[in-house]
Amino acid sequence: MNLRNRQLIPSFNRPPSRVLIRKVARYEEDLLAILHESLKEFGLPIKDKTVLLKANLVGHDPVGAMNTHPAVIAAARESFLKLGAARVLIGDGPALDRDTQAILESVRLAEFTGPLTYGPGRDFCDLNIDDVERVELETRASLLKQLYLPKTVLGVDFFVSMPKLKTHHWAGVTLSMKNLFGIVPGSCYGWPKNILHWAGIDRSILDINAAARPDFVIVDGILGMEGNGPIQGNPKPAGVLILGDDPVAADSTACRVMGIRPEKIDYLARASTMLGHMEPSKIQQLGESIAAVRTPFAVVPEFHSLLESPHK
Amino acid sequence: MNSLASSCASQNAESVRTLRAALLGYLQKSQNADGGWSFYIAGDSRVEPTCWALRALADPSESAQDHITRGIAFLKSLQLSDGSWPASNGMTSGGWVTSLAASVLARLPSQTSVQGPSVEKSVHAGLQWLSDDYPRDSTRWTKFLNNFQSSHASHNDEFRGWGWTPRTASWVEPTAFALMAFASAAESFSAGPPGSPSEPGFRSQLPKSLAVKLEERRTLAIGFLYDRMCAGGGWNCGNPRVYGVDGDSLVLPTCWALLALRGAPEHPNRQLSLAWLEKSFATIASPGSLALAQITLESYGVPLPAHSRHLTDWSALDLAAQGTHVAAWAALALSPARSWPEGARASHESSVTSHQSPQ
Repeated sequence: MNLRNRQLIPSFNRPPSRVLIRKVARYEEDLLAILHESLKEFGLPIKDKTVLLKANLVGHDPVGAMNTHPAVIAAARESFLKLGAARVLIGDGPALDRDTQAILESVRLAEFTGPLTYGPGRDFCDLNIDDVERVELETRASLLKQLYLPKTVLGVDFFVSMPKLKTHHWAGVTLSMKNLFGIVPGSCYGWPKNILHWAGIDRSILDINAAARPDFVIVDGILGMEGNGPIQGNPKPAGVLILGDDPVAADSTACRVMGIRPEKIDYLARASTMLGHMEPSKIQQLGESIAAVRTPFAVVPEFHSLLESPHK
Repeated sequence: MNSLASSCASQNAESVRTLRAALLGYLQKSQNADGGWSFYIAGDSRVEPTCWALRALADPSESAQDHITRGIAFLKSLQLSDGSWPASNGMTSGGWVTSLAASVLARLPSQTSVQGPSVEKSVHAGLQWLSDDYPRDSTRWTKFLNNFQSSHASHNDEFRGWGWTPRTASWVEPTAFALMAFASAAESFSAGPPGSPSEPGFRSQLPKSLAVKLEERRTLAIGFLYDRMCAGGGWNCGNPRVYGVDGDSLVLPTCWALLALRGAPEHPNRQLSLAWLEKSFATIASPGSLALAQITLESYGVPLPAHSRHLTDWSALDLAAQGTHVAAWAALALSPARSWPEGARASHESSVTSHQSPQ
């Protein structure tokens, strides 16, 4: 992981962020070409580096609205390799079911990537059972003082968060920053990682992202989930991939695509003071405009205040 | 049985023996110098994989005493001063693995040279910690606060189990592990002085006050498990219904809950959950769930349903690549004389030799 990303930088001192939106209607499109061309625009420092793609793998998902789609994961892996990465690892620590292999079988990941090897340093690492290292939480936003985090995450050169575009019944939205709950190891904290809920979901998200800030984000919004997410919501086609070099900016943009006000998401508002940009004026928008892809998502009643007004 | 079926059965029995030997060989070779096991080979020793490796190597047909002795010493060295065990070396507070460690230590020492009061003391301290570890979700204060919040779930918060970490909420799997630890310890502490290796036991008995407290917790925990059962049987992590939507059952939590409830009074929901597992068996695609489901069904005397996959479809290295715990579960599932879970073998031996993939 790039050390610069572990430093907390106030917004006024941080260079503008870049977020790119691509319209992609179906997973059957040429995702490799789309992602390769999109990633090239960022000129990422990945030559000869080890990249970790942190997918969002939750569980059995016949409709394809819950997990990062394996076609997107496979295309991202190939794209980073084509762009010069020495190795591209895939990892996740599912939150509710410790049988990660069952989830991988269910989402058919290997059908899209080809045969995978498993374990630390292999093609796929179950972050729930990786070796861990103690990380002091500098932000102290939550009640947690430190967390034990996977050595694979802490040791890679370039860390990519690959969430699904979803609403969340407790956090409002679950995107690249909330996706990092999946790096908190279940073998230490359980399934679910309930200690994060007791410490405060929003503030835990902040602490974890400050400790292991993703270098890059790829949001799978081709088919998202609205309402009672992250598991029991309804499929919502949004037809987009959102890429960004700043998790706060990428998530804020994803919120705007969903018709949700990012400044109303507690952890995003706080993160915008030290981890990235939320203000549109600080985000260089590439590809499609937000207006061109805006697809209002439904939320649970408790979160109606997050929604943009209909006339906007 | 015709000759073709007989030939297939003997071929299957041979592949079971071969795979099991390879798994046990892997477990022996992968023990770290400090006596513990890691999830992945050459990693850091942790309590959980150590417990499962010890369970698998403790099979009566094995001669792994040295490995077990060193593993037990590792577990004892990691116990914290409050009696709990940490999920990872360096953690200063204990958690759910306390149940696994107490359970293993309660049953294994009789097979090794580490018998003695120090192991009893370890188990006793672990049980004491478990009996004092009340999750925060069902405290009076939390219940009071819940009156002012909208309800997302439909739980009976009169019941209490255990959390994954102290002072959080009760969940199905850590509750099941604690119940299994109580069952193991109850057998050892009530068995009297150790006699033969087949009847391990501690010299002392639990203090009455602790025994009473454990029984109270056990009753609450059994009630908790049934309260958190999913509609139609089986369990997930402990959220059977959220925002008015039924949650789906999962194989592993269902197995743990059923194994924990083996000693509980008969209950229609236990039968319903067993039926769910039996029905789901044919759809299991991962070896970890397959091994645990096999162990669970056999512990209830349920013949294994037909399945297109068998554990012998994977190599020992493939299984180990999914973690030491998966390798250990598979070795236990394939054992002809399984010593865990204690006390129920029912139809196991016949199913090991007769189970075949459909042609």
